Amino acid sequence: MDDLYLILATLAFLGGFVLAAVSWRRESDRPHGLNIPIAITGLVFQSLFLQVRGEMHGRCPITNGAEVLVFVSWSIVILYLALGRAFRLSLLGVFSMPIVFLFQLFAILYLAIGDPGAQPPERLDPWLELHAAMSLLAYGAFGLAGIAGVMYLVQDRQLKSHKPGRLFYSLPPIRYLAIALVRLVAIGTAMLTIGIVAAFFMQVKPTALHLIVSGAVWLAYTLILIVHAWRRLPPKHLSLSAIAAFGFALATLSAL
Amino acid sequence: MSIFCLGVNHKTAPVEIRERLAISEHSVPDHLGEICRVEGIDEAVVLSTCNRVEIYGGAADPAAALDRLVAYLESHFAVASGEVEFYRHAGEAAAHHLFEVASGLDSMVLGETEIFGQVKKAYALAQETGTTARRMNKLFQQSFSVGKLVRSGTSIQQGSTSVGSAAVDLAEKIFGKLDHCRVMIIGAGEMSRTTAQSLLSRGARSIIVSNRSYDKAVELASELKGEAVRFDDWETKLDHVDIIVSSTAAPHAVVHASAIRRVMERRRGHSLFLIDIAVPRDIEEEVNEIDNVYLYNIDQLQQIANEGKSRRERQIAVCRDLIAAFLREKGIEALAPVPEGHHRAEAGGKRNDTPGRPLPQS
Repeated sequence: MDDLYLILATLAFLGGFVLAAVSWRRESDRPHGLNIPIAITGLVFQSLFLQVRGEMHGRCPITNGAEVLVFVSWSIVILYLALGRAFRLSLLGVFSMPIVFLFQLFAILYLAIGDPGAQPPERLDPWLELHAAMSLLAYGAFGLAGIAGVMYLVQDRQLKSHKPGRLFYSLPPIRYLAIALVRLVAIGTAMLTIGIVAAFFMQVKPTALHLIVSGAVWLAYTLILIVHAWRRLPPKHLSLSAIAAFGFALATLSAL
Repeated sequence: MSIFCLGVNHKTAPVEIRERLAISEHSVPDHLGEICRVEGIDEAVVLSTCNRVEIYGGAADPAAALDRLVAYLESHFAVASGEVEFYRHAGEAAAHHLFEVASGLDSMVLGETEIFGQVKKAYALAQETGTTARRMNKLFQQSFSVGKLVRSGTSIQQGSTSVGSAAVDLAEKIFGKLDHCRVMIIGAGEMSRTTAQSLLSRGARSIIVSNRSYDKAVELASELKGEAVRFDDWETKLDHVDIIVSSTAAPHAVVHASAIRRVMERRRGHSLFLIDIAVPRDIEEEVNEIDNVYLYNIDQLQQIANEGKSRRERQIAVCRDLIAAFLREKGIEALAPVPEGHHRAEAGGKRNDTPGRPLPQS
């Protein structure tokens, strides 16, 4: 049943990806009307997948690569739905759909390899669950910040080149993108901080590699925020930093 | 009983003709009353704007009614017989024409929204005057639905169509809402004034005007409710502005890259948008290479406006498909047969010869 939920969620996000492409082809300045319903449908199936896996493992379902990818993409979707409107960035969804779809696709491939994930633990450790959930939600926020960074760079390039392409009309103002990016990095860093603090209370202490990797990701994002607050990092540099930091964070996922 | 439309617009008649046929708002009720007294015409709505004069109506025999209406216009508006080539539509064609007008597809600036309000006003005026009944009510109400559908379902309003609107649209793509933006005008020419007015109309917060002739700067500043600054001092104000519009008659660059670099160091990441509408150009081209600074000259703005027009033209087919799909589903309500019980109401609801008294509505 979990496989079916995963496939249905992936198909929903594929639909969102296709709709985004159609809107772009039609040179529309608004996201397609079905964009939000599709994101919600995908989120429901993702949640069902995670619920089934959670019951199977008796803990937070992040015990193998597939589950981690689904959890991160679930975080991206839920943050997009929660914050997209507040940040006046309805089109963030259009850009996040392809990323979420790819994460889901890799998750399906990973499950096809046959990694069943962890067995239910003898005793549930709430600090471990908090650590894992907050860390992966933070990755979702960092993912959205990276997407906002890509959108900023695309829009900046179009404005500088004096040749607005089709995307120009679909993208939000660069000022809003820069503001959203900083907020998303701040939200992600706050969540990661809670996740790391929770790790110190876990029954089974994390490995040194796990701690170093988590600390490095936290440090990278904290540095971005400090430099931005201190020197007011130009939005272009901020965007590049957010993209590079997310690339680094993604690369470290396998070590966590 | 059918519907008809008779008129001229910017495509079919020059301004010399349109101004002679123009019906001012205060005289519309009188004309509506007289039009409804023309034999065979039961309902009427007059749409008179700077780009069109159109009369919509209901008549049992539209062809005959249109001939009489042309005679009425020729006798009342100082146009010789045959001097004006009116377009005439009846039945479905009349409805389609109104739907395209309300959607902005027949406007001089394709997709403009002002016409939608003008159509609404024309209908409201006719309703108040009492020259509408079932056909016109259905026709105009459906035209409002079509107009809204086209605007929400297509990108017909998207893209700038003039240099001024291109500059304002770009400003909004950089800053979002302009209500926190301060604008500086260097050179108090006509183009600067127009661009500044466009920015103000979209919410720009304040204007600073600088000009070689300080008196002119004061004059324009007072017109725009802004602040005048002596030409030697404009650089001192750069830290606090977000948009600079430059259009001096100087034969050399007035705004240098080195000055903008210095300013950007102090702006802590805030973008700066420079609009150079002077020929020869006022702002050094290298300015555009500075991070977070966006420079557009008159040719680049014109190119964007041209592309905007092309974009809108490409949307016409999409709009027409949308209208066709809407009408396939709903049909033209004004042409639908009158329900059995409504025959008497319609017969009794024929125009009332006394303007101002509402017609019985079905």
